[in-house]
Amino acid sequence: MSLPLRVCVVVFGSLVAAGQVQAGPVSGKLDLPKELPPREPAATKGFLDRVENPLANPRPVAVTPHMVVVLEQAEGAQKGSAPGQVLWELVGESFSRPVMIAAIGSEVVIKNVSKTARTLVALEDDKLVPSGPINPTGPKSFRVAEAKVYTIADKDAAHLRGTLVTVTSPYVATVDDAGRFELADVPEGSYKLRIFYKTGWLDGTTDVVVAAKGKTEVNPKVPALTAPQKK
Amino acid sequence: MFFSKIWFFLVALAAAVAVAVALLMPRPAARAHVDNEKQRLVVACTVIDILLGDDARNRVDLASAFASKLEIVTALEAASGAASIDEARMKQVRSTGTAVMEEMKGKRKPDFAVLIDRRGRVVARVALDENDFGDVAAGRPLVDDALAGYLRDDLWAHNGTLYLVTAAPVVKRDTQAYAGAIILGHQVTNALAQRLVKSLDVDVGFYLGKDEVAGSKTLAVEATPLVDAIKRIGGGEINQDCLANKPIPITAGKDSYTALVARLPGEVSTRQAYYSVFIKRPAALGFAGTLDAVEQADLAPGSFPWILVGAGFVVMLGVGIAMMFVESDRPLRRLTAEAVRLAKGETERLSEDAHPGKFGSIARSVNIHIDKLGREAKSAKKDMDQLLGPSPEGSLGTIDLLATALPAVRPGGSAPASSPPPSEFKFTNPATQPGLAAPPPRPTPSPRPGTPPPVAPARQAAPPRTPPLGLPTPPPSFASAAPAPSALNLDDDILGGAGDAPELAEEAAGGDYFAQVFEQFVTMKKSCGESTSGLTIEKFTEKLIRNRDDLMAKTGCRDVKFTVYVKDGKAALKATPVKDD
Repeated sequence: MSLPLRVCVVVFGSLVAAGQVQAGPVSGKLDLPKELPPREPAATKGFLDRVENPLANPRPVAVTPHMVVVLEQAEGAQKGSAPGQVLWELVGESFSRPVMIAAIGSEVVIKNVSKTARTLVALEDDKLVPSGPINPTGPKSFRVAEAKVYTIADKDAAHLRGTLVTVTSPYVATVDDAGRFELADVPEGSYKLRIFYKTGWLDGTTDVVVAAKGKTEVNPKVPALTAPQKK
Repeated sequence: MFFSKIWFFLVALAAAVAVAVALLMPRPAARAHVDNEKQRLVVACTVIDILLGDDARNRVDLASAFASKLEIVTALEAASGAASIDEARMKQVRSTGTAVMEEMKGKRKPDFAVLIDRRGRVVARVALDENDFGDVAAGRPLVDDALAGYLRDDLWAHNGTLYLVTAAPVVKRDTQAYAGAIILGHQVTNALAQRLVKSLDVDVGFYLGKDEVAGSKTLAVEATPLVDAIKRIGGGEINQDCLANKPIPITAGKDSYTALVARLPGEVSTRQAYYSVFIKRPAALGFAGTLDAVEQADLAPGSFPWILVGAGFVVMLGVGIAMMFVESDRPLRRLTAEAVRLAKGETERLSEDAHPGKFGSIARSVNIHIDKLGREAKSAKKDMDQLLGPSPEGSLGTIDLLATALPAVRPGGSAPASSPPPSEFKFTNPATQPGLAAPPPRPTPSPRPGTPPPVAPARQAAPPRTPPLGLPTPPPSFASAAPAPSALNLDDDILGGAGDAPELAEEAAGGDYFAQVFEQFVTMKKSCGESTSGLTIEKFTEKLIRNRDDLMAKTGCRDVKFTVYVKDGKAALKATPVKDD
């Protein structure tokens, strides 16, 4: 199992720990647009511009690591299990996933599995992440209280940035490299599936009806990623 | 002197202009020099930026060559397929990387290499942190770009050291599949800095904030102004810093420099990484600085118009001397010669027209004074004549006393119809008078009154020790040793007998002299038929003494001799000054 999928399992396991009667999994695969967005300009640049290697075409831009999905109930207040724990690993010069999603009230645990101590801070709320460095193998946890998009960064390493998306719904999932996702133990009902990409929510939602029994399959179509995203 | 003054004015003006030019000329040169230095700084900064770009290109080529090594491709291909990186794999890949680096001898050998698998994991590190592996390097822009298939460079800072890093993707040629990426790092060292400025005649330093990382020369530069300059830059294209920034003055120890800062690109740009180009600030090029800057070659005859300068100096000096000679020396010499002739009596006046300018004025002034002296001499003579009456040339003459108040008396006979005796008097130089010795010097005029001519004073009684009526006592030696004054010579002419002079001197010392004169005067008045009523000897003597004193005070004579004679049928009395000699 790849790292992102393991993260997905951890997230779902924590979110549905309380469980509900007559709930089933919701899975699917994002229908990515054929035309992927162009590669963004280099975050930093040396004396030269980057140039393609002469032996092979550049690899396509990986968009799925930057995507997360959420199921939101169509009407009324959100029902669901008690918030669980979200594990977000710091693997070296980057997070295990550039974008992570968590439900309000859940505990976000950032674990440093690299060999370098980091001092992280949420740019939007400097009190969100407890102060102090996260030593190698050490964790740093906190709870989110509102639906927001946070940028978690290390001021000493400009390239080290992650996006934490917090939502009211407890039914959230990450996406693997192929675009697959899975939400376990979703109570029956009508939902809307939304996709977050990089810095904002993509336009459009996908209606999802979860039956009392059985597995629900949904393959939401992802709009063109070149369009500006809204937060 | 007019043209000399004009010439000196022109010379002084030329000198002032020359000094002003000498003081002013260095200023534009100094400004131009400073501008040139700044421009040289900008050029050097730009050249260094270009050289660093060229160096980056070479390093990218080097990384590409490194990444294309088959053993590297194979090693990373295998590592990418592994679930985890163990130490054995790390050592095997590190050994491969070390061997490839060894092959780069002769090229620009990197200081470290990092081998990364397709997933972004560090499989091995060579020459730097060699025991660290397994961590994810993906996330750094350089690594992400290399894993995506791009060649590029960047600048990293690691443990206070600045590295020029390049990355290249590792591609399996046959399948065109990506096996990973490699990173090569070159430390920024003093040697690199020196190589960059080798032909630029400047210095360069690389900095991380206030810390100098490397430099072409060890300079204790105060980095705060450099950091402040970096902060002022703000945004803008980094590669335009050399052109956009302004040089700033900084100090390094006792030396002053002009510096131009330019940000370093890449990842380190967020850590205030920059380089600075230095030029030692030239000393102020004032007048003294310009003189100091003069070299031997500048004074060589071929490069400096010594002949022109020398000729100009000689011409100016010659003209000045010529004008001095024409307008000053020659007229002065001429005037001096004429003054000498004047002094010798060869001429009576200075010829005014023969001397130009001020010298003519001097001659005129001298002549005016000569004329004034002549007039004063004539005036003095006239005054004396008026005072003493007409007299022969050289005579002091006589004075008519009591002419109206006293009867004209002439002892021994009636009043003559002729002019009064003074017109007939003649002074005789005692020195030329035979039988008369020059009188000894007398500190004070003799208070002794003169002796009337008709009476031989020598035959009178000896004068009293104290003169009557307040007359001062004559010196005791006077009667015996004093020679006869000029008045005696006068008496000689009237009475005859120069040998009576000593007796006259003795008898005149007493009041009998005035009594005798009184008696002669009374006799003369009676003989003229004039009345003598009211005429007493006391009043007469008092009058004579007063007139004697007045005459002595006016003429400075030693003594006064009174003579009774007839004037216009009346008795008259004349006072004759008696000189010392």
